[in-house]
Amino acid sequence: MIDALKDIVGEEHIQVLEEREHPLGNHAPYVVYPHSEQEIASILKLANKQSLKVIPMGGGTKRGLGGVEPSGDLILSLQRLKGIIEHSVGDMVVTVCPGTTMKELSASLAKQGQMIPIDAYWPEKATIGGVVAANDSGPKRIRYGSARDHVIGLRVVYPDGRIIRTGGKTVKNVAGYDMNKLFVGSMGTLGILSELTLKLRPVPPFVSLVLLTFPVDALAELKNFIVSIQDSTLEPFALEVLSPTLHEKMNQQKGFGLAISFEDVQKAVEYEEDWLISRLPQGVERHILRQEEAGQWWSDFTRLPPEDTSYTSVEDDDQFEIALKMGSKNLYALDLVERCHQLGEQQELSVKAHGGAGHGISRAYVKGSRERLLAFVQDMRAFAEELGGYLIVQHAPLTFRQQLEVWGQKPSFFTLLEGIKQAVDPHLILNHKRFVGGI
Amino acid sequence: MPAKDVVVRELAKMVGPGGILHREEDLMTYECDGLTVYRGQPLAVVFPSNTEEVSRIVKYLYEHEIPYIPRGAGTGLSGGATPMGGEVIVSLVRMKKLLSIDYENREAVVQPGYVNLKLTNSIAHKGYYYAPDPSSQAACTIGGNVGENAGGAHCLKYGVTTNHILGLEVVLHNGEVVRLGGAPDTPGYDLLGLLTGSEGTLGIVTEITVRILKNPQAKQTALAYFDSVEDASHAVSDIIAAGIVPAALEMMDKIAIEGVEKANYPVGHPEGVPAVLIMEVDGIAAGIEDQIQEMVEVCKKRNVREIKVAENDRERAAWWANRKTAFGAMGAISPDYLVQDGVIPRSRLPEVLARIQKISEESGLRIANVFHAGDGNLHPLILFDSRNEGETELALEVGSKTLAVCTDVGGSITGEHGVGIEKKEDMRLVFSDEEIEAQTEIRSVFNPHNLLNPDKLFPSPARCAEVKKAVKGSGGVKQAVSGP
Repeated sequence: MIDALKDIVGEEHIQVLEEREHPLGNHAPYVVYPHSEQEIASILKLANKQSLKVIPMGGGTKRGLGGVEPSGDLILSLQRLKGIIEHSVGDMVVTVCPGTTMKELSASLAKQGQMIPIDAYWPEKATIGGVVAANDSGPKRIRYGSARDHVIGLRVVYPDGRIIRTGGKTVKNVAGYDMNKLFVGSMGTLGILSELTLKLRPVPPFVSLVLLTFPVDALAELKNFIVSIQDSTLEPFALEVLSPTLHEKMNQQKGFGLAISFEDVQKAVEYEEDWLISRLPQGVERHILRQEEAGQWWSDFTRLPPEDTSYTSVEDDDQFEIALKMGSKNLYALDLVERCHQLGEQQELSVKAHGGAGHGISRAYVKGSRERLLAFVQDMRAFAEELGGYLIVQHAPLTFRQQLEVWGQKPSFFTLLEGIKQAVDPHLILNHKRFVGGI
Repeated sequence: MPAKDVVVRELAKMVGPGGILHREEDLMTYECDGLTVYRGQPLAVVFPSNTEEVSRIVKYLYEHEIPYIPRGAGTGLSGGATPMGGEVIVSLVRMKKLLSIDYENREAVVQPGYVNLKLTNSIAHKGYYYAPDPSSQAACTIGGNVGENAGGAHCLKYGVTTNHILGLEVVLHNGEVVRLGGAPDTPGYDLLGLLTGSEGTLGIVTEITVRILKNPQAKQTALAYFDSVEDASHAVSDIIAAGIVPAALEMMDKIAIEGVEKANYPVGHPEGVPAVLIMEVDGIAAGIEDQIQEMVEVCKKRNVREIKVAENDRERAAWWANRKTAFGAMGAISPDYLVQDGVIPRSRLPEVLARIQKISEESGLRIANVFHAGDGNLHPLILFDSRNEGETELALEVGSKTLAVCTDVGGSITGEHGVGIEKKEDMRLVFSDEEIEAQTEIRSVFNPHNLLNPDKLFPSPARCAEVKKAVKGSGGVKQAVSGP
């Protein structure tokens, strides 16, 4: 195998890993760095023929997401396939290589006053390919939407080496199935994204962030206030509830936090700030950050999730941190954040949680002992499911993931998911057992 | 396959005798959808009233290997609901209830036969609306919108149907009922996204949860008249490049303007003006004026002749009625017309419009252009007279040529009308055989025996003899009633 790989990418682009295992799993003895789509195709063809297990990887920020196998045969790193292929300003569309980091992409687009409206975590490390494949998103999806709303075209290398284009370069397109959707969030289990085309948005002329503090016992007021904002004509670009622990860490305030972002021309933003201030319930503290200050706050926010380097040893059972993602109807985010906080207090776990009251995604970063973390996940999952939602373990060490169902129970339509996997990757070479129900 | 009368009898047991049409004269209406060039006769039309009935019908059809087609209001413009011959049409028009509205969570649940515009009308008193607004919205159903991933005039800022679908209940090919979505990013492949726009080939949608939005605080609409199509198209790109995201940015050319002014909703566009842009911005009132002003500046740099800002809601509504009925308005200036639906990167507008003009000149057929300029979604309307020998065929050929121009500049063959029957072969302009195969592999997962809306969406390995036959027998092209 290794000789064949050397023929494809050259010896200098294969890294042999000394470590036998990685605390987060999704490991392999070799990392291969292709420099072109053609090289990816050759690698996959080889893997397909020999039934090798391939783990695609970008910046490695999602390494702790899914997967119950300690190791595959090779890691296919997209890190050296980077750069913008085309940024068409008049079309507000960009075509980019998968290994480009979110930060590099943003910096380049900003020169033309445009941006990719996905506020992903760890933008310095996370690559656009990884963000799309894992469907990462931040609080601003309330207005901008998520990766599925931005991706308009892909080039995908199939396991058998076929190169398949999906979608195109136009913002509207209904020719054939919307195959883009199949790959967004597919966790690299179907194909390798070798080129991505995305819709952009203009960089907003003025940005403001209103940070509110509600006393811990004023959750009803918090909910009412959120409902009144949602029922108004304000256009918040974030409406994120922060648990007390998180609020204290981010804003040094005691109580539940509410982060409301406005992005528009200055006059409009000022109107929206005034609207909020004039309607603040009694006892609610406020703090307003504007422009660069707001940007800095959001930048800090993207560094909340645990990093892969925060695990030193698989055996370290004493204390570690996991990340959870929950989905629900919009307003239930509030209930989920509240429950996370309460459970944390009861179980003496450190819980930092936040949830989007206008988009229904909540996240929790929980630190504690293995046993307590397992109980926490179980409790929260049951609660989320009671609300008609779900919980997934977004980031955890391998041994922890092996103890539970990272993605929850198989859905009733599992045979369809399995059928899709079988149709595209019949030899199961890509991210084997990484996704829902072990596909 | 059992004999027709057996099928009819069995289906009638499931929906009652009043829930099925099978006599030849009753089936005529169902021979085509909004694209009338192609026609075929269904075996029967069945009208289920609930999910359970749909499931039972589908199970029966599956077990007896009878092909079938889900259908809403039949306003589609690509023949997606047109029988190839012998299918059972499962009409969802009796499932037309608005099941629930949840303002706090900004969602509504509807049955597939619920008419698009009714949703906005039902929630308007609370200041909410449903964003996707195809021009046929007064007639088309939300189920059909899901099938076609329908667009409309306001996609530029608000996206198309797929961006507004939060959950689906679907009857699968074997009659099994599943629920998809319900919460954002539910674990697993995005079947919600895959089914939206699958033109009824992957399942029958029986319940839809959609996102509803709060009306913007303010809206302003302006008309900008240009002395050349080229200037108008450059203005479109310039507006986008200037960092403005208009709620809508529509264009009509000289022939289209002639049509709408002679039809039912004239608004007094200057006679003979080569191009008009309809520009709409919405959002926080305090910021709107600046945006309109910026757009005016951009237009001035592109030699705009005149700009008018709507003075009130009534004027805005009149302008939109004028624009949204543009397809039908072509009936005022031509005996027949064919609607096309190409899409291009919007920065290529000037070049593409010039090339379409050339095709028009070479063929001798007039082409009116009325389209979603901000999205690069063109609707060339090819005007012809089916009474003239060979002109129908010529119009079809001209339509295909305009699509080839779109794909040539990196565009696509359809932005919102779908592939249906009409563009099956044109799929080859966009996708390689391998890419088409990648899609039919997915179809096989959901629709293994190809009973669900068979022979649509993808080119046949052997080039469609049966469609050509259908064209011959159709007696020419009729006018489409409405369209986006």
